[in-house]
Amino acid sequence: MARIDSLEMGELTDTAFYILLSLVEARHGYLIMKSIETMTNNRFSIGPASMYTTIKKLLSAELIVLFNEEDEKRKTYVATEKGIQLLKKEVERRQEMVRHAEEIFRKKGVFLK
Amino acid sequence: MKETKYVMSGGLAFTEEKDMKKLSNYAKKGWILEGFAPLGFILRKGEPQNIVYSLDYQKDADEEYFSFFEVAMWTRVCSAGNEIHVFSASEGTKPIYSDKETIIEKYEREKRQMGKYSLPLLIVTVMSFLLRIISGYGWLPEIAGNISLFLGEVFLIILIFPGMPYIAYRFKLNKIRKW
Repeated sequence: MARIDSLEMGELTDTAFYILLSLVEARHGYLIMKSIETMTNNRFSIGPASMYTTIKKLLSAELIVLFNEEDEKRKTYVATEKGIQLLKKEVERRQEMVRHAEEIFRKKGVFLK
Repeated sequence: MKETKYVMSGGLAFTEEKDMKKLSNYAKKGWILEGFAPLGFILRKGEPQNIVYSLDYQKDADEEYFSFFEVAMWTRVCSAGNEIHVFSASEGTKPIYSDKETIIEKYEREKRQMGKYSLPLLIVTVMSFLLRIISGYGWLPEIAGNISLFLGEVFLIILIFPGMPYIAYRFKLNKIRKW
């Protein structure tokens, strides 16, 4: 029984989304975690095991590539064109979700703070 | 003075979370995890500490892998065969897995591995018992039947070792997917 893989479905998990987003510019692997925490005010943080697993997945899906390898510990990655395209598609998908919610909220008189 | 203590594991496929909790409780009493031992762990007497333990499976883990843990304040305690790794951190450190998808990935990998060991054993076990049945009809000499019965039992016993973890991982994955 094949497992439904969100990457194969062309959707990004939150973890993959943020990693890809922080790799729009080339970055050291170990700095990705920090940059995501800064970006989201610590609201979203990725554990090291999830981080390593997701990077390997993004690499094999060719959404990111090794940018340069000074040494083992300091591998640098960057999003590929394919990665950027998927990221854009994902942003549109999420924008649409937000729009749907806003429409319903407006109709029902629910206000966001 | 080197005081050590041996703690048995319930088998990582079956009691991983319980084992890690147990190690954490021992650390509170001053027994700090030192490394793996056959079917368990070795602890060493030290200062009582509030630390938690996490286990990960990662074949051929490289420097980058460990550097991610370092950045996240998880200290590597020990590894077995550069495949099973135990990390420790002070209580309250964010967990090593932060989403369900990657946790599923962790156990899927282990399940597949155990499946790979189990399948050939399952096949030879079934074949041995089939040979025994066939010889029962007199199509094979009796001695061949006896040998295959014996072999079948041996294979069955070996099959238990990867087979039980395989089943345990299946159950665990089903549970995680229902979260």
